[in-house]
Amino acid sequence: MISVNLVLIIAVAYVGLLFVLAYVSDKKASQSRSGFLRSPLVYTLSISVYCTSWTFYGAVGSAARTNFEFLAIYIGPTLIFIGWWFILRKLVRIAQRQRITSVADLLSSRFGKSGTLGVLVTLIAVVGTTPYIALQLKAITQSIQVITSASDPGGLSGFDSVSLGFGAAACMALFTILFGTRNVDAKEQHHGVVAAIAFEAVVKLVAFLAVGIFVVFGISGGPMAIYQGAAEAGIDIARSYDFGPRWVAILVLSAAAVLCLPRQFQITVVENSDERHLRTAAWAFPTYLLLMSLFTMPIAIYGLTVLPEGSNPDMFVLTLPLTSGNAGLALFAFIGGFSSATSMIILATIALSIMVSNHIVMPIALRSSESFGNSGTGGVTRLLLNSRRASIGFILFLGFLYFWLSGNSDALAAIGLISFAGVAQFLPAMIAALYWREATVHGAVTGTLIGFLVWAWTMFLPSFASTSPAIAQIISSGPWGIGLLRPQNLFGLSGFDPLVHSVFWSLFLNTAALIGVSLVTRQNALERIQAALFADVFKRRTREQPNFVPGSASASDLYFIAQRVLGGQRAYELFEAFAEESGVSRTQFEPTAETVVRLERELAGSIGAASAHVMLATVMTGRDVSLEEVMQIADETQQVIEYSQELEQTSAELRSTAEALKQANERLRALDSQKDEFLSQVSHEVRTPMTSIRSFSEILLTTDDLKPDERQRFTRTIHEESLRLTKLLDEILDLNALERGEKRWQNGPTLAEAVLDRAIDVCRPMAEQRGLRIYAGPRASEVTVNGDPDRLAQVFINLIANAIKYNVSPDPLVEITSSVGNGHYRVEVSDNGPGIAPADRQRIFEKFSRGGAVTGSIEGGSGLGLTISRQIIMRMDGTLELVAADKGARFAVTLPLWE
Amino acid sequence: MADSHRLQTAAVLLPVFGAMLFVPPLLGVFNVPATIIGIPVVAIYLFSVWIGLIALTFILSRRLGRDDDGTTSDEGKAEDRPR
Repeated sequence: MISVNLVLIIAVAYVGLLFVLAYVSDKKASQSRSGFLRSPLVYTLSISVYCTSWTFYGAVGSAARTNFEFLAIYIGPTLIFIGWWFILRKLVRIAQRQRITSVADLLSSRFGKSGTLGVLVTLIAVVGTTPYIALQLKAITQSIQVITSASDPGGLSGFDSVSLGFGAAACMALFTILFGTRNVDAKEQHHGVVAAIAFEAVVKLVAFLAVGIFVVFGISGGPMAIYQGAAEAGIDIARSYDFGPRWVAILVLSAAAVLCLPRQFQITVVENSDERHLRTAAWAFPTYLLLMSLFTMPIAIYGLTVLPEGSNPDMFVLTLPLTSGNAGLALFAFIGGFSSATSMIILATIALSIMVSNHIVMPIALRSSESFGNSGTGGVTRLLLNSRRASIGFILFLGFLYFWLSGNSDALAAIGLISFAGVAQFLPAMIAALYWREATVHGAVTGTLIGFLVWAWTMFLPSFASTSPAIAQIISSGPWGIGLLRPQNLFGLSGFDPLVHSVFWSLFLNTAALIGVSLVTRQNALERIQAALFADVFKRRTREQPNFVPGSASASDLYFIAQRVLGGQRAYELFEAFAEESGVSRTQFEPTAETVVRLERELAGSIGAASAHVMLATVMTGRDVSLEEVMQIADETQQVIEYSQELEQTSAELRSTAEALKQANERLRALDSQKDEFLSQVSHEVRTPMTSIRSFSEILLTTDDLKPDERQRFTRTIHEESLRLTKLLDEILDLNALERGEKRWQNGPTLAEAVLDRAIDVCRPMAEQRGLRIYAGPRASEVTVNGDPDRLAQVFINLIANAIKYNVSPDPLVEITSSVGNGHYRVEVSDNGPGIAPADRQRIFEKFSRGGAVTGSIEGGSGLGLTISRQIIMRMDGTLELVAADKGARFAVTLPLWE
Repeated sequence: MADSHRLQTAAVLLPVFGAMLFVPPLLGVFNVPATIIGIPVVAIYLFSVWIGLIALTFILSRRLGRDDDGTTSDEGKAEDRPR
């Protein structure tokens, strides 16, 4: 019923359909009518490339053999996608900012655009993906064999599985080359291919659900009936599965794989056209996985129940419809399986070919400058496309080789897990790239390399054991008989499942090396910049540091490069855009730092970060220290910042100084006005005697007939006024000297009581003249103070004279007392006069201030006496103050005793 | 603001919480040789948790989508710095 020819024709026709679909989508995309193609739905469906023929056929086989184990392979990615906010969102944002083209590019770019890391990751990806491609080839050949052997047993006589596999590989290579390498896109997005993949995702889901529904509700009587039938057939449906280390290991591996598998990275991160699509994929992709695994268990159990012992459980999806006579459904299931295999092969080879061309071919081409220099416009583009085509062929050939060498022994699931564990070696470096700023390129290279070697030894190598006796020998007794190095019992670790053993050792040593080496090595400048850009991608103010100093390359140099890599048209558009943004015409355009950064990003979108960096570096007019210069500029910026902080501090100091100056200025102004006041007072004081001297002398000069006694009187008045004037000037000079801090005497031991007696004696005639009594109160015994006798007498005379002069009491009295106590000698002079008004108490010691109540009618006062007295006493370290009294005024002089 | 912070915390912790539901000690509780309506308990448990997590993610992603639109596309901001 189903002939070989029919199957082959259907397969080829299906590929042809994909071809048309991809072609139409590409056309639409290029005309910007790709609304639907860039919808979250298509994005989610394309991510479902995760479900390969391993899912389609192998999951049922795995369920039949190990019950629940297959679920781990879908739960791992589910956990990653429901955690999209944490990892995927950051990954996509970084990839869009940095124009990341592949997982190798991501790691290389983060670790200082390291070429070494790019090559290493590419090699691991190629080696790790090879078993996976082989798995798809195997699924395709097996399914063709199964579906035809039932009805057309002799039909395949001309083909063995090897030639079928080769045919499939060649067919896929052709399709991928035709569609994956049509152009070199800025962001490595392949809309046509994505559309085809999304279509295939629908086909495989519908096919699998159709088989599931047919099995569960068609030939069996519902899920309960399946379990019942199995129980009756003696199959332990409730047999326990040990959810132990192997379950956890597969969870970890599948979670890692959905991030690190080159094709998953390509479809989830690189082909993502809008970050918001992740929101939908976050729940829609797990839903897809759930639907894909919903019928796996029932199919497996029903197959085990009804199919004869020894049938291959991997092919239950095909054999169940076949044995129940539903050839059409079987054919549909075959197409579903074919879909899942081809979608994986197409995308994986595209992703790998980009990595190979960007990280292996380009650096070599760049190194041999001839090929770069002599190729014409778009030469790099042609080189890229050709190298991609070659690598697609090469990778598929490798897959075929593995398929051929590893034989038919392995179950599908085992091969898939080998791949998963291989690419899982990128995980530690990837996580470090996203979250750990201090990780260095040395750490990443060492960790990844060690992880890869351990994986190759403990997992990849043993997969050949069934075909190579030599390898089987190594597994059983170790290389050269060294037991500690046995691949499945490394360092003597035993008692674990080989998968758990390998995953543990490889990831543990990988992570340990990454951390250890990162901690003891240092990042170079470019790494530091990239690390910050990656880790802080969500911080709004993150700016792209220019890796080159602007102005070190001319616009034409850069244009030349852009033309080479991007092709004439795109380069032209790009530079038009640059020129327009900087507001000048195309010819006047001068490259700035940010245009160079953007150009590098555009180039990176085509040839990878490391190659783009190297390429730009060649034309930055040989200034190979430019990056160091950038760092220096950064340092200088830092210094400027520090300097400005210092300035701020200084200006704060200046502000306070200015404040102090302002206060000082105010004081000066006050002093200045005091000086003016003093001068006007002095002139006033001088003017009074001068006026009388002038008028009297004028009388004497002009009037001839003066009586002798009148002449005598006038002359005496002139004399007295002259004396007063002299005294005033003397006092002013004296005060001036005192205020300047000069003292024209030497302090020495002075007998204070004697001085006081002398002063009283001097004043007595004046008192008697006014009918005033001087009452000597209690007196101290003889004391010695530190001072000058004449000056001290001057002070006492001044105080007593004041007390006499200003006393207008009808029964005037001046009382003088002295005492010694507390190491001080104290003299008090008090009177029973009107006293000093409270308002004047402060002013009393100021210059020219006389007691307000008494107007100038009383003779003699210059208004400087108290001021001078206070200055004199101060120079003797004593005080002169007005003390409170019941009546009249009381002045007190306090002087320290002579020691 | 505080609300969107809570949502983000939930978005980060959901996979952690989900992972704990899918690995031994908790998983072991349901790994018993018994059936409900003929289907093993652990199969029902695994699929129920799975569906529950998808539902929570669906709700969370829609809520986060509402809050986050302002901050997603600041591509232009990085470009317009002064020279």
